[in-house]
Amino acid sequence: MSVQLLEPELDRLQELWSDGLADTYDAYLAAVDEPRLALAAALIEVGIRLQGLGGLAAPPTTLLMGDLCLARGSRLLADHAPLAVQVAFARSIELLSSRAAAQQPAPPVRQLLQDSFGGLR
Amino acid sequence: MSTHRLEFATTRSTEFVDITPRLQEEVRQAGLRNGRIHLQSLHTTLGLAINENEPLLLRDFQGLLEKLAPAGAGYEHDNFERRLEITAGEPVNGHAHCRQLLLSAFATLLVEDGNLVLGRWQSVFAVELDGPRHRQLAMQLEGEFAQQRDTAESLVEVELARQLMVDPEPIAGPMRRLVEAGGKRLRPRLVQLTSGIGPRNDPLRAAELAAAVELLHNATLVHDDYVDESTQRRGRPTVAAKEGAARAIAVGDYYFAKATRLIAQIGNPGVTSEVADALEAICASQIDDVALRGSYPGDRDSYMRVIRGKTASLFAAACASGALLSGANEEVVGALRRYGDLLGTAFQMADDVIDFSPSSGKPVGQDVRQRVLSLPLIYAAEDRVVGPEVRRLLAGTLGDAEVGLVTELVTSTDALPRVREEAQALVDAAVRELEAVELDGLRPVLAGIARLAVDRAS
Repeated sequence: MSVQLLEPELDRLQELWSDGLADTYDAYLAAVDEPRLALAAALIEVGIRLQGLGGLAAPPTTLLMGDLCLARGSRLLADHAPLAVQVAFARSIELLSSRAAAQQPAPPVRQLLQDSFGGLR
Repeated sequence: MSTHRLEFATTRSTEFVDITPRLQEEVRQAGLRNGRIHLQSLHTTLGLAINENEPLLLRDFQGLLEKLAPAGAGYEHDNFERRLEITAGEPVNGHAHCRQLLLSAFATLLVEDGNLVLGRWQSVFAVELDGPRHRQLAMQLEGEFAQQRDTAESLVEVELARQLMVDPEPIAGPMRRLVEAGGKRLRPRLVQLTSGIGPRNDPLRAAELAAAVELLHNATLVHDDYVDESTQRRGRPTVAAKEGAARAIAVGDYYFAKATRLIAQIGNPGVTSEVADALEAICASQIDDVALRGSYPGDRDSYMRVIRGKTASLFAAACASGALLSGANEEVVGALRRYGDLLGTAFQMADDVIDFSPSSGKPVGQDVRQRVLSLPLIYAAEDRVVGPEVRRLLAGTLGDAEVGLVTELVTSTDALPRVREEAQALVDAAVRELEAVELDGLRPVLAGIARLAVDRAS
């Protein structure tokens, strides 16, 4: 799928596309070969990074952009992923945020999210 | 016997805070039918009084207190050289203590048929004598309580408690404090009501969905409070204020993910998509909201766009998802979605009006202080007479004095009644949406909720 076809999903997030989202998307696409799900995973990874989850809290405006990435990723999963994948992604975010709250180390985000695609197999 | 603390913030040195609506709400929530409500001030410079809520009369009271115990009249209490155990920041407030002696620290009110027994002109005031401060009243309700709380509401509370019980404490603790602090629970109520419309009425699944929607709403509030730099929510410190921004982000994210998972696991794709769309609208509108603060107070069109995303979208999703869960037909789902959208918009407008009311339980002008979009402010800024002054004040630094002035200017225009009228018109439109579809006797309840959502004091 071309970037043009993904455009509605990237509305408001164009700057992020050139600022790392494209590379993240490519990495997930190589693993899952399903553009909308790869974009969902990329949005969630970038969203978590923008928010500063588990590290230094992002300033408010950056947090809001991170929230939008998470929400858009979540909506893509709701519309295009099987239930098992939706649940796995949600559980990954739950794990990352609970570790962050407890100030404990968390597994690498990308590995965790790539594992969440297990439900596709 | 039911025991509570009534918390509120005052904004001026002397202030008559009308707590009557909040007491009535406490009586309703406790289910007290006939009995008494006992109040006790937990401060030595906060009194209680029952009298008429008439602005000029309140000024007379203030004048009387100032005459009987003037500030700076050489109180021995204010002579720090002679006093023992002076704490840092000790206020010079002998006059406030003396004024409190003229009032009462206690009050007992009677309750009959679920209502406070008050004369036509009587209101209950907490009287601030040394503000602004955060205040608490101890409260005990005793007597005959309703035999059973509404079963549906209980199911949601049980489900919320059950979900919070299984979460890790660093995450669950802050959310539990927020959930237990109350809130109107309008969104879960709408889910439950609309889930009874179609042929697949399942109260347990409806309670799961309702609780998840409430968790999602609360997750957005946790992040909002960090963004808006709010220190209080529902009378308690916000997660960001109490535990820091990093914890607030983690708590918001956790319940954002958990709520979406719980909703997905209900196994109705239509419901999952409905709520996911609403969440996206909320996040996008929140960005617009913050961006628009650069051109504060903005214009009506921008305001409407923001509140429809930020507030109305989850009301609409709550109504539509309940109906979808029950297997209601598309026509009914659509009508309920539009009802929720109109109701949510009216609800937010009513909230804006309440921000200018001293009886809301929140500091007056909080939205102004935080530069949150507000329709009364937009109208006041457009006013031919006071508009230029409102805009001049909003363009500068907003300290207590400026917020007080802006509040006075807004209340001097027709902005508040105008917004109230608009909110009422939206409620009427919401109720009309219900008229074209078959709702199995639910129409009066939904109409009542819509009217109550705008006809409230807090």
